[in-house]
Amino acid sequence: SGELYCSLPNPRNVHFESINMQNVLHWSPPEGTGKGVLYKVKYSVYGVGKWIRKPECRNINRTWCDLSSETSDYEEQYYASVKAFLNGMCSDWMETTRFNPLTDTKIDPPMISVSSTDKSISIILTAPEKWKRSPDKESVSLLQVYPGLQYNVSVLNKKTKKRWFFSISNNTLVVPWLEPGTAYCVSAQIHVTTPLLDSGFSKEHCISTLKDK
Amino acid sequence: GACRVSMSMAEIRAGFTAIKANIQSRDPIRTLSVLSHPHSLHKVKSSDRCCITHHLFTFYVDRVFKHCKTEDSFVNRKISSIANSFLSIRRKLGQCREQNNCVCGEESTEKFKQILANYEGLNVTSAAMKSLGELDILLDWMEKSH
Repeated sequence: SGELYCSLPNPRNVHFESINMQNVLHWSPPEGTGKGVLYKVKYSVYGVGKWIRKPECRNINRTWCDLSSETSDYEEQYYASVKAFLNGMCSDWMETTRFNPLTDTKIDPPMISVSSTDKSISIILTAPEKWKRSPDKESVSLLQVYPGLQYNVSVLNKKTKKRWFFSISNNTLVVPWLEPGTAYCVSAQIHVTTPLLDSGFSKEHCISTLKDK
Repeated sequence: GACRVSMSMAEIRAGFTAIKANIQSRDPIRTLSVLSHPHSLHKVKSSDRCCITHHLFTFYVDRVFKHCKTEDSFVNRKISSIANSFLSIRRKLGQCREQNNCVCGEESTEKFKQILANYEGLNVTSAAMKSLGELDILLDWMEKSH
């Protein structure tokens, strides 16, 4: 294909960064090349014979390329590769390790909504959605992707600093026998046992129980 | 009745994750897969799952683990730990077969033949290392479909 003489240093650290299965290829520029380097990207499905070019990431000067569309089937595994160009010279193709969207993605914390009575608080948790091509596409919850998904919930009494931890499979939790007129702060994390995936804990949501009638 | 076998999936998964990069880096052939192409495990009918699972565990015990010795003792320890888990699960699946709770239909036999053909298309060491590097394909399918 009329490849140029490839003596340019290679792109470095070519790898996927994935959150909720938005799968973005990242790399570092070749060592000592400064400005003006352009890149092109290709990817392949593991076990299938051909590399496929990504037109939107051809002759780009940024060092990332969103391959979420191309890697959205999480029953497959993938490789991606990057080549650098500068002043008529090029680098070798530099590949990722094998990428498995199901096990190699990171999961965002769940969304939390809380309400309270005088002696209890009710917590509703929502797992993040899998990345989708466009807003009008059908949403897929990560709960559907990871059937064994659970929630770890932390509830803190702000007055006594006493903290409880709960581990639940369904998405609602009612914490009873609380003190009226007291502030409680709730935070939650997603836990998938196998493959082992844990989100970070969410931001704290604080609410006060109603005062005694 | 159904074949119910308890499995330490999280333990097997953790063992594989610890050596995945090492093992997959020993498999330079991107264009061939033992388990996932041309036919995906995810297309196996539910009635054939038990049989295919038994076939696959037998395949890994008899034709994969023993050909995966490496120069890295940490990797070797993880491989033997996974192999022991597979051995015990294969035994339980075998008991299901004996009690006729794990029937093999034509499709599962055909599917497994394809897997063996993929495996036999490579030399033993390459085929075994590739198969071991595809353990997450098997685990993903089992967790999703079982």
